Amino acid sequence: MRQRSLIAITAALAAGALTLTACGSRDDDGGGSDSGNGGGGTTVVIGVDAPLTGDLSALGLGIKNSADLAAKTANKEKTVEGVTFKVEALDDQGQPSVGQQNATKFVANDKVLGVVGPLNSSVGESMQKVFDTAKLVEVSPANTNPSLTQGVDWQTKKVRPYKSYFRTATTDAIQGPFAAQYVYNDSKKRKVFVIDDKKTYGAGLAATFTQEFKKLGGKVVGTEHINPDTKDFNAVATKVKNSGADVVYYGGEYPQAGPLSKQIKAAGAKIPLVGGDGIYSADFIKLAGASGNGDLATSVGAPVEELPSAKEFVANYKAEGYKEAYEAYGGYSYDSAWAIIEAVKKVVEANDGKLPSDARAKVVDAMQDVSFDGVTGKVSFDEFGDATNKQLTVYAVENGAWGSVKSGTFTG
Amino acid sequence: MSGVGPVEPGEHTLVRETPPPRPRGRLALRYERHRRTVLASATVLVALAGGGYLYASRPQPRPAPPPPYPSQAIDLVYVAPVTGPPGAAADGFSFTVLLSVRSGPPVTVTRLTQPYDGLSATSSPAAPFQTKSHSARKIIVTLRVTECEKAPRNPGLPFLDVTLRNARAIEAHSFILGTRYARDLSRTLAVACGNVSR
Repeated sequence: MRQRSLIAITAALAAGALTLTACGSRDDDGGGSDSGNGGGGTTVVIGVDAPLTGDLSALGLGIKNSADLAAKTANKEKTVEGVTFKVEALDDQGQPSVGQQNATKFVANDKVLGVVGPLNSSVGESMQKVFDTAKLVEVSPANTNPSLTQGVDWQTKKVRPYKSYFRTATTDAIQGPFAAQYVYNDSKKRKVFVIDDKKTYGAGLAATFTQEFKKLGGKVVGTEHINPDTKDFNAVATKVKNSGADVVYYGGEYPQAGPLSKQIKAAGAKIPLVGGDGIYSADFIKLAGASGNGDLATSVGAPVEELPSAKEFVANYKAEGYKEAYEAYGGYSYDSAWAIIEAVKKVVEANDGKLPSDARAKVVDAMQDVSFDGVTGKVSFDEFGDATNKQLTVYAVENGAWGSVKSGTFTG
Repeated sequence: MSGVGPVEPGEHTLVRETPPPRPRGRLALRYERHRRTVLASATVLVALAGGGYLYASRPQPRPAPPPPYPSQAIDLVYVAPVTGPPGAAADGFSFTVLLSVRSGPPVTVTRLTQPYDGLSATSSPAAPFQTKSHSARKIIVTLRVTECEKAPRNPGLPFLDVTLRNARAIEAHSFILGTRYARDLSRTLAVACGNVSR
């Protein structure tokens, strides 16, 4: 009998130890459900509009996945009690007309309380009125054309055209001059050949670059517009070679910028091509080939390695197992979706934990006062709906990869 | 009592003989002799192992996050031109900027300059100078035109370049001080180099 009781005590001790151990390891997991539907109750849809197919899909899929990660995180953490967020993405193919149709579809779905996107400023332009009429908030992570928030006469008189439109990316009113300052002061280039793709984003960015480069004392030795539907730029490349330019500035996106850079170098002009956030993609490097070494891009935000919050985003993105890279706008897309989540939270909390009948209009109002520490730094919006955090970085292609060269912050 | 006794062997059945006890080995005999000690030791060992595992796997306090990069911890904003003698020089322009350290450890400005050819910059206090966390200090920057031929004419969004150091990193960063600074700088350049053509 004595032997039996000793065995029983030993077994009890062992079982107790194992139970306590199990409790300890659960604490390490941080608690909470792993399910994507933590909130329960009401489902709120966050729409995503981006090019999910075609040339620009690398950027578009990064936008979609990053918004999805924000929704999953909010559900897991039960950020808004009683609300489960769901992402529904539509493909705009980079076409304004398709974007406008998508905007109409989002408006028709009364579960949609906010939309993240689009990538292209021209697409954004086509969606703004549709959303504003329906009082549906739109937060773009990537539109940089100043007129979207400050009106077409933004250089002389800033007027906000749509109350429902916000963006987390810095505008080209800063990006173009920032690039010009770097090219003139740091790279010591004095003669530029300016090319754009005639689109809202590309032409606008090229214009703000040109204006600042000339103010600094630089010379524009040639200008050209390309057709974004072609990849044969040999005629333009020859003009660049003959112009004597020591740098090319391109307002446009990487599907054209990559081949353009390659063909300019092949024509004998061994000069760097500089562009904006639209060319800051790993795909640009693939398309430009080895001769793209030394090409430059400005992009919105500080380099990821300088932001601890961005590191966490990168780790979570990887853990979620998305097939596509988050690309240039991943952090901004996460922050755009999170801004919608925060605005919904404000609205729900102000209405005794429930969504009011006029939730869309309330979310638009709440968005104006949203403020949180996001992936890209402090996220809040000024009176035009522009991001108050205005940082930019110059990146250079070095040994087949983008590396940060210089960062700046607009504090004006 | 149920009245049902043990089943007796019947016809064609065999009584299973109880196997003889196996001869006990030396280990078993030793165990018999020291049973109490062995069981007590085993109990103590299990308790110690469990306790040790619990201690090793206890929830650890998260390590403190590293301090922010200096450029992410400070604000540098344009305040106003300095009136009076320092700003009155025809070939120069003095102005105040406010440097605030929002978070993290103290930040030292090890270099403060401007990026344009034909201009020079000095500051008061002169670099290096340190600003503590959650505090701000005013800095007077004086720009002088050294060569009008090389100076910019009318920069739209001029930079001020600083090198910053804190416990995390040393980094060069540009601050774009905005349109008021641009206007004041352009006015100075126009006065200093108005008749100079390039």
